[in-house]
Amino acid sequence: MEEFDKLEALQLDALKEVANIGAGHAATALSQLTERRIMISVPQINVTGLEGLSEVVLDPDEIVAAVLMQMLGDLTGRTLLMLPEANAKLLCDLLLRRPPGTTESFEDLEKSSLKEAGNILGGAYMNALSDFMGMMLLPSVPSLAIDVASAVITSAQLGFGHDWDHVFCVETDFHFEEAGRKLKGHFLLLPDLASLKAILGAIQLT
Amino acid sequence: MSDSRSDILVRLGAIAVTNTGETLVALGLGSCVAVLLHDPVGQVGGLAHVLLPSGSLSRDRGRPARAADTAIPALAEQMRQHGASPQRIVARMVGGASMFADLLAAGAVHIGERNVVACRMALRKEGIPIVAEAVGGQGSRSVWFDVGNGTVTVRAVDGGTVTL
Repeated sequence: MEEFDKLEALQLDALKEVANIGAGHAATALSQLTERRIMISVPQINVTGLEGLSEVVLDPDEIVAAVLMQMLGDLTGRTLLMLPEANAKLLCDLLLRRPPGTTESFEDLEKSSLKEAGNILGGAYMNALSDFMGMMLLPSVPSLAIDVASAVITSAQLGFGHDWDHVFCVETDFHFEEAGRKLKGHFLLLPDLASLKAILGAIQLT
Repeated sequence: MSDSRSDILVRLGAIAVTNTGETLVALGLGSCVAVLLHDPVGQVGGLAHVLLPSGSLSRDRGRPARAADTAIPALAEQMRQHGASPQRIVARMVGGASMFADLLAAGAVHIGERNVVACRMALRKEGIPIVAEAVGGQGSRSVWFDVGNGTVTVRAVDGGTVTL
């Protein structure tokens, strides 16, 4: 935690800007994919003990469709796209060009669509970071879980992170409207601590 | 499941022990493992919500309940303090799923599986027999442990419910 505490306001702002660029590109990709206008929120930075992470985002008991991607290369970490279950079903309908309400359960086709959406969003996000910082970032294949939000987040961090005490998380929310219903989703960037330093180094703010 | 007024929610990295018949609950166990100890005669029950296989993975040494190798001795000790007889204590384990397992490097072992193995080892060290397990797989589980009558109900995220 000590390392995170030392971050200054300027550094946090710079990180938010980096996240905003990434999320902007991801939103553009999602917008083209769904032919809808996508709105994104100002990124939020959360530094928390692992125990508190599930309370930071969403309702911890909510079922979400989550796409996890590993970030490899000059920076390491993870991106996690989370959509509440009902929203994920509507997104499937949009992606598969079906009338809203068609998707009842997540079968192979729906799971594959969600993974692909996660892949495109995560890829766009990482590409933007890579261009902006002049670093090589390689996204892994996407992996999908449909599960309770708290279990998804803790498993993503415990299973693939390198810090089992604290989590540094940059969250961007996005939303759009479809058939009068508000759809929302969350995009989380979970950089490893060493990579966080590298990001700050790349934007010359260390 | 049971009367919510007598439920005790055991959060990530916490331990709870009771001898007054409450229901111990752990929700959304992904790669975490809930270790349930029970003395059926003394009606003492305890639950540890374990995150990590070993305390050496954590810089935070003040929280023994987070890791299997420190949580299980602490839980067994609290059971004895609440009047459980060491010879009668039995263990059940729930959780340890391998979510996003397709992202693991070839040959790597998922933390969920490591947690399960570490809990089994720690229980053997304490000499506590394991009588039932609902572990592994890809999806999360929630568990309700009614200490009063010893019933353990496990609900998987896909809706399946089993009693251990």
